[in-house]
Amino acid sequence: MASGSQKRLAKEYADCTKTPPTGMSIHLANESDLHKWHVTLEGPAGSVYAGGRFGLIITLPTDYPFKAPDVRFATRIYHPNVTNDNQGGICLGLLKSGNWKPSTRLLSVLEAIRGLLAEPQPDDPLEARIAHEYQNDRKEFEKNARSYVNHYAKGPVKFDVAPPNVNASGSSKDGAAPSR
Amino acid sequence: MLAGPRCRNFTSLYSYLGLSLRHIPPDIPALVAQCATPPVINGRVLPTTVHTYSRRAHPPQAWFPPPSPPHNATMPPPNTPEEGVPTAGAVVPAPANTSATYILGRHHLYPEPPVSPPPRVPTAPPAATTESSRATTPNPSRSSSRPRSASRDSSASCSNRSCLLPINYQDLHYETEVDKSLECPICRTPFHLPLTTKPCGHTFCASCLDRALEIQPLCPIDRTPLDASRDVCHTRIVLDQLDRLRVRCPNRGCDYICARELLPVHYERYCEYTMVHCPDPDCDLRVARADARGDRGCLHTFTTCQYCGKEVMVAGLEEHYDADCGGHTAKCGHCNAIVVRHRMEKHTAKDCPRTMVACKWRPFGCSEWAPREVVEKHEQGLCVYQAIGRLARDRMEDRMIINELKERVSAMDERLRKSEKKEKNRSRDGGGHFGGIPSAAPFMPDLDLNHSPRAAPSYNGGTWESPEDYMLAQFERIESRMEDLRKMIMELDGHHTMRLLNDTMRLNEQIAELGSKVGVLGMHTTWLMNVQRQSRGQQRAGTTGGTPGPGIGVAGGVSGGGGSAGGREEEARRYFSSSNDVGLPLRRNSDGRNPPRL
Repeated sequence: MASGSQKRLAKEYADCTKTPPTGMSIHLANESDLHKWHVTLEGPAGSVYAGGRFGLIITLPTDYPFKAPDVRFATRIYHPNVTNDNQGGICLGLLKSGNWKPSTRLLSVLEAIRGLLAEPQPDDPLEARIAHEYQNDRKEFEKNARSYVNHYAKGPVKFDVAPPNVNASGSSKDGAAPSR
Repeated sequence: MLAGPRCRNFTSLYSYLGLSLRHIPPDIPALVAQCATPPVINGRVLPTTVHTYSRRAHPPQAWFPPPSPPHNATMPPPNTPEEGVPTAGAVVPAPANTSATYILGRHHLYPEPPVSPPPRVPTAPPAATTESSRATTPNPSRSSSRPRSASRDSSASCSNRSCLLPINYQDLHYETEVDKSLECPICRTPFHLPLTTKPCGHTFCASCLDRALEIQPLCPIDRTPLDASRDVCHTRIVLDQLDRLRVRCPNRGCDYICARELLPVHYERYCEYTMVHCPDPDCDLRVARADARGDRGCLHTFTTCQYCGKEVMVAGLEEHYDADCGGHTAKCGHCNAIVVRHRMEKHTAKDCPRTMVACKWRPFGCSEWAPREVVEKHEQGLCVYQAIGRLARDRMEDRMIINELKERVSAMDERLRKSEKKEKNRSRDGGGHFGGIPSAAPFMPDLDLNHSPRAAPSYNGGTWESPEDYMLAQFERIESRMEDLRKMIMELDGHHTMRLLNDTMRLNEQIAELGSKVGVLGMHTTWLMNVQRQSRGQQRAGTTGGTPGPGIGVAGGVSGGGGSAGGREEEARRYFSSSNDVGLPLRRNSDGRNPPRL
């Protein structure tokens, strides 16, 4: 009867679906489970990711407002702040467990991720190589990013490509996800 | 994780602040313990509607802070192996320790929002031990592992049975739009027991803030470091605003709507749908209050559904009809709606749009008789008897009020007459005692409180319903007597003052009159004396040689005495000269015959 957090989740979901951030569509992975969201994100116009459609999987812990949600890219993306593998981990200050504030809304989390695509933050990278490339050889970076977009982010978004090795390394919460 | 004496609990702060928390039953912990095991009836495990509280993420020590050292001593020390059964350890002490149960329970004022879905397999951490596994481990030293039968025998369980499930404030349905600023930023529902942080001024529900600070001692909005014991306070204005919100009763099936502050009273005392303990003392389940009231006994027995043949618990029959019963419905003969069979009567009486009904203004002359949907429209605006009907209804109401008032007046008359009669009797009885003071005699006897022989029979005689009534009546009578006496004294005082005034005025007048008379007399005397002296002076002048008196042209009408009175004449002369010296004009000296006028 986690009704408190259920209620909050329901409200967050209603907020996000009622006025979704530009270029995003939000659905539940499973109609009866508010804890797993599938977000389709269109690459922001003007950025190297324009034209691509990226899948985001948001997993909300059971003690959600008190613990940060887990947000991952389901679609591979060439980005300094996203792991360049099929786990799609995101480096976002807002979501770090030390910085998470229970009052943060998911809407602002989604906005922040969109902002990250429009403007990568190479100073706080997850992929040092890509960050280096982004800072020193922008043309090469853009070429690589576009090729990633063309290769992975065209066509319908697949959420079930959730990386198999999440099971092994990710937290137990995520363990149930890929099996679906 | 913070635990032990350092942990805090804001709801206890609320109780210190003297805020009303009546809706929270005193012993939730016992409930928790009770809910931990699915009840077993007739050998099968029943699904509990009451969810268990998660014990995984937050050891209950954080939720039952020891309010004082003695209670601390009753709790198992943190981080000992015994912590494996923390809920029961803190919650179910030995029967002799009931006071500790109460206090601990009182501080646990709202249920901890669980962090995990209920059907969690009891896994490795000992904190997740279920009650059943505890019961199997022989541990005679801990009364916490009492089996359920034992809990029924103990007297503590009796008090448990009277308690209700707490209202979940985060699940309430608000009837009016709630201002966004009254919503907790953590749970996004209107605050329950709001607390405001002192350094940054943010407000949260007590439970939300409690949990957030347990994870990080920082403000959940701006991450200001917070000391939970000092840096929070409650804001009364927020509480007042919250109290005024209109909420719907959280019980299923109840449509009652009231201000939020009144909800606990409705929920605890009046709502027919509140889940209370089963009237059967051997059953630990709950039923709606309306079902528990009759002599239907325990409703947690299984019966066969009359429609589908499934075995269902009696208490859950209605739910069963709504959810998964097959073949229990029928078509309404009028409107073709599908209705649960045994609710058909209610449907035709209240809802069915095709059933023929009469206009509600029929008693006042309307002859409309049509299907309900038509009649409803008709009633809403077309019925011409509506105005008359309303008038007549108002008149009827007025008449009822008048009748009621009449009855009350006559009853009061009756009482008044009775009491007057009684008082008369009393004053007659007691008059003899104070025969010496005739004027006060009618009032005095009732003041005599010590006169018990007379007071007692009137009580025992059944005139008064209870000693309190009697004392109250006595008191009232004494009061009225006092009032009478006061009035009398005032009156007497007035009389006295009046009389005094009247008497003294007459006296004053007389004195003034007398004074004036004395003055007149004095003047007369002076005049007479003057006359005498003058005449004597003339006599003397006549005898000595006719020299007129120095400066006095007064003709004395009185013939003086002998000539030997030369000294006297001298005297008179001196007298007059002296008066002349002073410069006083002699009054009407020319006419010595008349006495001075008054």
